[in-house]
Amino acid sequence: MSTKLSILIIEDEENICNFIRTSLQLQNYKIITASTAAEGLSIANSGSVDLILLDLGLPDMDGLNVIRQIRSWSSMPIIVISARTKEQEKVEALDIGADDYITKPFGTKELMARIRAAMRHSNRLASQDENYKRPYSHNGLVIDFDKRLITLNGQKIHLTQIEFKIVSLLAQNAGRVLTYDSILTHVWGPYIEQNNQILRVNMANVRRKLEKNPAEPQYILTEVGIGYRMAEED
Amino acid sequence: MNRRDLLHNISVTACILAIAVIGSAFFFLTTGNSNNASLIYVLAIVLISRYTYGYHPGIISSIIGVVAVNYFFTYPYGELNFSMTGYPITFIGMLAIALITSAATTHMKEQAEILAEREKLLMEAEKEKMRANLLRAVSHDLRTPLTAIIGSSSSYLDNRDQLSPQEKDQLVAHIYEDSNWLLNMVENLLTVTRIHTDTAASLNKSLEPVEEVVAEAVSRFRKRYPDSPVRVRTPEEFYMIPMDPTLIEQVLINLLENAVLHAHSQEPIDLTVICRDQNRIQFRVMDYGQGISPERLDTIFDGNPYGSGESADSKRGMGIGLSICKTIIHIHGGSITAANHENGAVFTFQLPLGEERE
Repeated sequence: MSTKLSILIIEDEENICNFIRTSLQLQNYKIITASTAAEGLSIANSGSVDLILLDLGLPDMDGLNVIRQIRSWSSMPIIVISARTKEQEKVEALDIGADDYITKPFGTKELMARIRAAMRHSNRLASQDENYKRPYSHNGLVIDFDKRLITLNGQKIHLTQIEFKIVSLLAQNAGRVLTYDSILTHVWGPYIEQNNQILRVNMANVRRKLEKNPAEPQYILTEVGIGYRMAEED
Repeated sequence: MNRRDLLHNISVTACILAIAVIGSAFFFLTTGNSNNASLIYVLAIVLISRYTYGYHPGIISSIIGVVAVNYFFTYPYGELNFSMTGYPITFIGMLAIALITSAATTHMKEQAEILAEREKLLMEAEKEKMRANLLRAVSHDLRTPLTAIIGSSSSYLDNRDQLSPQEKDQLVAHIYEDSNWLLNMVENLLTVTRIHTDTAASLNKSLEPVEEVVAEAVSRFRKRYPDSPVRVRTPEEFYMIPMDPTLIEQVLINLLENAVLHAHSQEPIDLTVICRDQNRIQFRVMDYGQGISPERLDTIFDGNPYGSGESADSKRGMGIGLSICKTIIHIHGGSITAANHENGAVFTFQLPLGEERE
């Protein structure tokens, strides 16, 4: 990419803003900051922003409303910054269109991974087919979407139809969190009862087939109370 | 006397008197003997004095009783006649019984009220003491890492030019370490606010797979202490437990952190989850360090960071962390224990599986 990607940070805490700006500038991103939702929205509307980092606790407007307003005209990636204990807020933000979230406090490495994943998936929307066909590969696990084949260190893994659907959905969104509800809808269809137990049980079976130790997963990471996240590709 | 008490008095008095009248009338009509009438009235007066508030109902009913016995059950029937010999004695006797019983029962009730009040005050004081203890422990635990953070950062800012790169790295590493410690502290406090009362009803419970909760707790712990190895084992079968996962994760993290900070050992910590029996899952955090001093074992969950002479550890008092663990496990209907094994300490807690078993 020849031009720098520009990232808009909407965050009212100056110290946090500064630390994100410093670390992102080192990674060669162009940074714009806004301390209120109104300011952030007007900058976003100017159309020069590639990705938004949004703190949900803003002084002048509910962060969820900011997401709704931006989603009404743009699909640019939005990453939400939120506190650990507010699972419900995170799930809601994801359900109304945020791409991912990051929990305060976070390190630079974590933030960079989220930004990379969000950018990659927003690109994918544009040229879906090509990217979706490329197999997923991470740490010995290879998923060939075309051939519906999963191998772990060269050994074929047998998954049921549903299990394969779940794994490939997560793999196509590797690095990004998917909520229980969105996985349920994608795999079982829109009429599935919104009860995530069936998903959790299937997930447990997948984990037993893929992971060495289900309590220390390497491929499919759990975000308890929110959803699942597939490890980023190598 | 408020309205409710007055109503209570009137209704109790009326009821017992009515029963007395019916009872005496019954005896009188069946046996034709009115001797029992006075006795029944005396009993009624005792009962009234016992079950009403104050002196008035007893006095009033004794007057009514005397008049009624005189009117209905003594010759001449249907007429008042106080001139009979010995009648003033009957009257004074009934009045005295009423007064003495009322006085005794009123006194008794007052005593009981005072006792209850005192009990309540004591409970409040106990709660207040706990809160004060917690606050003191928190400010103690917050101040130590904050002092280190402020000290390290200001020495970095003041002496930037004299410090070698290694020294700088060390200062920043200390800041990082201490702020992580602070973070866990704050998260512990947050969990306290999540538990408003000590009842299970206030919990935000959902069915969660054991392995997922353990996995997340371990991965959060690893992020904080990348150099402290943990061996994790969960059951091969799939179990879901009704719980607030945030709280149980906090318990696991607290226990793991406790093991790292207090064991003083490089051996990996064992985190083992097993299905104890049909309806309980057991979590065990085992370290291979110096163990817990026996005199602390009994009070280790009581939230007192100033344990008997553990000066080496006083910087990282885990008092609050462990007392929070205990609270969390208890409101989940489980139990937690601490013990020593041959070469280290072991913390064990159990959670009920609940009705819905997978």
